[in-house]
Amino acid sequence: MRKWNYLLVLAAAAGGFLVSVSPVPGQGGARNAKGKDAPKAGPVKRLRDGKPDIQGFWETRNFFSAFDLEAHDKATFEVPAGKGVVVDPPDGKIPYQAWALKKKEELVNSHLADDPQAHCFLSGVPRQMYTPFGFQIMQPAGNITLLFEAFHAFRVIHLDGKPHPDENIRLFEGDSRGHWEGDTLVVDVANQNDRTWFDMAGNFHSEDIHVVERYTPVDSNTIKYEAAITDPKVFTRPWKIAFELGRNLEADYENLEYACVEGEQDLQHYTESQGGAKKDK
Amino acid sequence: MIRWAARVFGCALICLLMQRSAPAQSSAAYKAPHNGYGQPDLQGVWEARNTAAGSLEAHTASLGIRAGRSVIVDPADGKIPYQPSALAKRDDNDKHRAQADPLNKCYSPGVPRMMYLPFPLQIFQTPGYVAITSEFAHTTRIVYLERKSHYADAEFWMGDSRGHWDGDTLVVDVADFNAQTWLDASGDYHSEGLRVVERFTRTAPDVLTYEATITDPKVYTKPWTIRMPLYLDRSPDAQIFEYECAAYLPPPKVDEVKP
Repeated sequence: MRKWNYLLVLAAAAGGFLVSVSPVPGQGGARNAKGKDAPKAGPVKRLRDGKPDIQGFWETRNFFSAFDLEAHDKATFEVPAGKGVVVDPPDGKIPYQAWALKKKEELVNSHLADDPQAHCFLSGVPRQMYTPFGFQIMQPAGNITLLFEAFHAFRVIHLDGKPHPDENIRLFEGDSRGHWEGDTLVVDVANQNDRTWFDMAGNFHSEDIHVVERYTPVDSNTIKYEAAITDPKVFTRPWKIAFELGRNLEADYENLEYACVEGEQDLQHYTESQGGAKKDK
Repeated sequence: MIRWAARVFGCALICLLMQRSAPAQSSAAYKAPHNGYGQPDLQGVWEARNTAAGSLEAHTASLGIRAGRSVIVDPADGKIPYQPSALAKRDDNDKHRAQADPLNKCYSPGVPRMMYLPFPLQIFQTPGYVAITSEFAHTTRIVYLERKSHYADAEFWMGDSRGHWDGDTLVVDVADFNAQTWLDASGDYHSEGLRVVERFTRTAPDVLTYEATITDPKVYTKPWTIRMPLYLDRSPDAQIFEYECAAYLPPPKVDEVKP
């Protein structure tokens, strides 16, 4: 229903609607559509067992990570300028091995149309977490369920302490096993396949990717999110991204349907040199 | 004449009785387990074990479809009460199902079709929400328990689900459908006037009885009802994986993507 069309997003960004959403860390108040004062953030809510209650609707506060995890100071056709979210290494660059950096550049230069999201495939972790349109967190007995509006993807974070399934089982979204360390939810994500990217800038990984996420609620409206990424086939060392998730404070907010496969038109927008279709002049 | 009347009224009576007694069919003494919020606990990995995905009506086997009985409990003849012109369209759909079935293009299955695909479902519950997810194409429904009204002007592949507890039964009213989904692989279909009222009741330790009453005045002569057991996966590592349908289709040739 709410179809994310890359060009629409770009048009909106160019028009300044989304650029103005530059939240102040820790203040709470994510989506605040009509300029009204958002309810003030209070202390972290608790479930009956004392664990943090992080249920509700959330959204990344760093819109630009969907385009490029690295800082990108010059806008190109598909990728607008924006701040990066790579916090380790300190230079903010993904530590690619030489061959892998070459491949990433090749993807950017001539294969952007291969972006798995442009084909409506599931986004993988961590990309799922900063894909626009937000998500709902549920904390039913036994797991934590993340329901995303984009691509109607979902993730089940198992809390039963059991191991990941056999490594022959490969999943776009991987297999997520979590536990609480104090107030931090630590999630180990394995079993991913090599068919997802990190963003729209051709950043990629192999199926040896292993992600450890840390969700730390700091107040009732803010979760600090961190993901440590390891993939010895592609990177020279582990690296880390970090950003904040803000609670969506719109009254009566609900996830709507995002039908992608059913109305896919993104591929039409890629140029021939990006691997898109030949256009009539 | 008397015989005819007896048959009709007899059927009506039996049908009525069947319907009334159905949720207690397995065991009148069975009491659904409750979760920590005082709700019947519907959580778990569930799967239909029938041939409704092939056809809701009684059907013989064909390529990829096992023979099976009808899951339609009302009307009593087990057939969908199509209007005559709609029946012709169903038969035409069926003839062209290889190309025409939306599921073959990996589109969202809609409701109720999602519930009896040969892919497991997982149900998640919190006080305000019930989420129903399917392994097929990561199909997701969120049943909102606190807000009752549907969207005034919207169409969704999966409809809009609003639920409430009727004793130990979860009742879900699903509206706002588009006309793009089918009900099974045999061309059974609906219009955007579709309305589905579902009833989920635990009727035995491993059984969730699923019932859906389907109304669509543009296509059917009267409302009709399907009913089937969904079975709980008791294996210790039960979880749903992924059938990322679109990723298994042959990739589109770039020249076929219209600029």
